[in-house]
Amino acid sequence: MAKSKRNLGDVTGGIRMKQIENFVKHTFKDVPKEKRQEIIPIVTESLIEKVEDLMEKGYTEQDAVDQTVLEFGTAEDYFGRERPFAKFRRKTLKHYRNDFLFSLFGALIIIAMLVFTNLYYTGDIIWFVLPAIAVLWWPLAVLYRFLNKRVSERGEDNE
Amino acid sequence: MIHSDVIRGHLETIILKLILEKDRYGYEISRCIKERTNEQFIMKEASLYSIVQRLEKKGLISSYKGEKSHGGKRRYYKITPLGRAYYKEKLKEWQSLREILGMLLEESE
Repeated sequence: MAKSKRNLGDVTGGIRMKQIENFVKHTFKDVPKEKRQEIIPIVTESLIEKVEDLMEKGYTEQDAVDQTVLEFGTAEDYFGRERPFAKFRRKTLKHYRNDFLFSLFGALIIIAMLVFTNLYYTGDIIWFVLPAIAVLWWPLAVLYRFLNKRVSERGEDNE
Repeated sequence: MIHSDVIRGHLETIILKLILEKDRYGYEISRCIKERTNEQFIMKEASLYSIVQRLEKKGLISSYKGEKSHGGKRRYYKITPLGRAYYKEKLKEWQSLREILGMLLEESE
């Protein structure tokens, strides 16, 4: 009986460990591999210590894991202003501008096709304007994101 | 609630002070900060573990596996002689900063 209890404890402990490990891996997924391999074991170990502490205080295992995950913060909190991962997956202003140009050309091609279909098949009724307005929301939304990004980049430069 | 930006430059010193008092493990440091400040300053644990790792890399603290807790052994942090010297230096820096801020910001009667 004692043996089966211990086994059950090992199993739940293993699940707890896995949940925490997955969370830590996900949090630092954008960090360069070398740095990530250094950070993950230590942070995982510290968080498991916290889970155990909370369980000693009377939390259920799942509540302890949830609380730990909730209070940890983000990779940005970990690195502060260092941001070693910023240059890897962070979208730059150039990416946002390319997104905008892509959406603009895409929208123009769709609108041109709408105009052609309208005039070629049902020239007496002009209906392409409404779908064209709908399509225009695509580049407009991307332009909005691009402009927002430009403002925030300027803000960071001024800091 | 104090914003962490205000206190950022002193986090290393705060953590060193807590480890100087006695050897502590990661979450214990975080809990201690929360309790001593009456929850007015809650440090994100991500920042805490980052600073602890940085201090260890700099050789200001060292770690060892301590007593067995509910599940496994905890990693305790201990201040090194270099850490003590660094802490004293930082404490002096803080005292002069406090004096300067007092001179500049306190209302003169």
